[in-house]
Amino acid sequence: MSAALSDVVVVELASEPWTALAGAFLADFGARVVRIDDRAGTVSRSADDPPPSERPGWDPEAELVHRNKRAVSLDLANPEGQSLLHDLARGADVFLTDWPARDLAAHGLDAASLAQLNPRLVYARGTAAGSKGPDADLPPLDELAAARTGMMPILQQPGMPPVYAGHGSMYTSVMLGFGIVTALIHRDVSGEGQQVDSSLLAGNMYGASLDVQAFLAMGGERFLEPVSRLDAGNPMSGTVYPAQDGRWVTLTMPDTDRWWPAFSELVGLDVNDPRFDTHEKRCGAHRLEMMEVLAERFVAKPADHWRQGFNAKKLSADIIEDYSYPADDPDARKNRYVLDLDRPGVGRVASLGFPIFASESPARLERTAPCTGQHTDEVLRERLGLSELAIAGLRGRGAIG
Amino acid sequence: MRPGAGRAQHQALPVGDWNQYFLVINRNKKSLAVDLKKPEGRQLVTELAAKSDVFLSNVGNDNLERYGLGYEALATLNPKLVYATTTGYGPFGNNTKPSFDMTVQALTGLMTRLGEPGEPPIYLGMGSGDAYGGLMAAFAIVTALYQRARTGKGQFLDASLYGSQLFLAAPTLQRYLASRSQRESRQVSRRDLANPVWNLFPGSDRWLFVCVRDEDARFGQLCAAIGRPTLASDSRFASADARRAHRGELVDTLDEIFRGRTAGSWTDTLTAAGLVATPIQTLEDLAADPQTWANDYFVTAYCEEVKREVKVRGLPITLSKTPGLVQTLGPELGQDTEMILFETLGYDWDKIGELKSAGVIP
Repeated sequence: MSAALSDVVVVELASEPWTALAGAFLADFGARVVRIDDRAGTVSRSADDPPPSERPGWDPEAELVHRNKRAVSLDLANPEGQSLLHDLARGADVFLTDWPARDLAAHGLDAASLAQLNPRLVYARGTAAGSKGPDADLPPLDELAAARTGMMPILQQPGMPPVYAGHGSMYTSVMLGFGIVTALIHRDVSGEGQQVDSSLLAGNMYGASLDVQAFLAMGGERFLEPVSRLDAGNPMSGTVYPAQDGRWVTLTMPDTDRWWPAFSELVGLDVNDPRFDTHEKRCGAHRLEMMEVLAERFVAKPADHWRQGFNAKKLSADIIEDYSYPADDPDARKNRYVLDLDRPGVGRVASLGFPIFASESPARLERTAPCTGQHTDEVLRERLGLSELAIAGLRGRGAIG
Repeated sequence: MRPGAGRAQHQALPVGDWNQYFLVINRNKKSLAVDLKKPEGRQLVTELAAKSDVFLSNVGNDNLERYGLGYEALATLNPKLVYATTTGYGPFGNNTKPSFDMTVQALTGLMTRLGEPGEPPIYLGMGSGDAYGGLMAAFAIVTALYQRARTGKGQFLDASLYGSQLFLAAPTLQRYLASRSQRESRQVSRRDLANPVWNLFPGSDRWLFVCVRDEDARFGQLCAAIGRPTLASDSRFASADARRAHRGELVDTLDEIFRGRTAGSWTDTLTAAGLVATPIQTLEDLAADPQTWANDYFVTAYCEEVKREVKVRGLPITLSKTPGLVQTLGPELGQDTEMILFETLGYDWDKIGELKSAGVIP
């Protein structure tokens, strides 16, 4: 088994976890990712948590977003520290960052400067809302992008506060990975590097693609205000109903004619019930009535009863689970979506694994996440050919950690 | 290439006066229609796969095997082929249930932790998980293509809807996996957040997101900016611990204040004070947002169906030298069948005519 990206060297200067996760996706497939920890703290992490290095104990988020990487600690306020980073970028294939444009420029790390040092470099940057436009310099916070995307006012029930789901940045992580590898393929052919940009706004919008596109094409109030769950367009699709034990069931059977015979039997309705015997009645004149009837039926039995029925009749419906489901799901481990790993000092811990199966070059866990600066000496020796003496000198002058 | 009449879900999706769902998702593609139930149809697809770099399918592995389009069969013909599937639940295990987006999202646990306590679970929006599975597959494919340029060999890939959606939940699921704490898996009220000032607040017209780090100095800035500097020295709120202990009261107090002005006006005030805040936009605001157009996240494209330029979502990734483009909207079903057979497979018109009269192609 080989690794797909084993000849790719990535230098990652990231302050946000979603950018670091893009680096981890590359590292999972063998890319040699060097994470730079800036001792000067030039750019502090902007989320409300303290930066990972200041958190006590083991950090599961860092375990995920920094796995398979090596960590180098440099002082980027120190000219020698800056120069080391330039040297690392000169010998790298990819530079991955989410730093603000002005900080990058101040450190000679903007795309133009690094392209001069290394014309083959793929320069990837994650931003808040794109590198062009009036808000190109917003702080890269997922909350701001989610607020901008237009979904927050309509996910919840009428009268409730907007919902921040926190998933938008995950799209951005994969987009950065996709953009980087696409640019590497182009470099194979042309010899030239280029800039790859993606943003939290792009990621959040991609996650909302179908709603966004439907609004662009049709407009309409129904995309602007939340809709009650008992006022859905189709009682059998995109709906949720509480069961007796307080858990919820969800139905996705858009083409109701196909499912109606088995479904009506399960919920104890006559398949020929004149109120509901055609798709047009179910989604038209008797839509609201049907939702009330279904709500009564579902709340009369516990969720497990419904799951058994859904499964026995092969319906497209299920229970809405909580996180204990994937945590305990044997199939999640068989597919390596969830892993158990040994973290020294912590013991055996569960972590998200690998979302992609690849037969010849599977993602692999080569090393757990490093501590700050854990590989400084090793990387400077290996990548820049520095001697022990030179490294000691740099450390003495505060250029490295 | 689409077996059968296309996915059932289309019936339920609103489209408007042009088929925006199909045409945008299939932009830049050609379309070949073929009857896979006929041996000649399967043969034709096999020949195409033998000349392709990538084979991508969500038909289901059992069906692919039945059609003679399984990985082994195609890889034997074309060892360079990158063969990718997007299954519901992954290549291993016994889950064979239907895998529509929302029922898979329901299993991840993410829906259960969204919204205020006692409220129904929340789905992230039409196709939210499908979009992520598709992205994962795209990343897997280019990674395999990169490697193939070195080894000359393709491989079998799968990005499942379930596996991908677990990563959509990563920001909170990863902490739950480590701690098994119900705090991570249940709904948490906005009156009960660890940092009460990293929160949504109701303006007089709409809500706004306020992102203030829970530090005394920052909290003091916030209180000054909203014209209530004494709150910062109020013993209930004077330290991070006190704020946490009285978080519900603090949120109620701030709600009262924020209700006095519009979200836009508060955003201006807080931004001027060096704090981070933003109004909650609607899809209508997004469609007019200059940032989306400046970065080509929205573009226009010509739509044959209605003979005019229409607004479509553009590309979320920008490559400076080789940018992607929306060159054409999606094809009509089967519109390129004959040209593909002629140009790619080298069939002559007689053979194409035979396939038509046999009902293999339309």
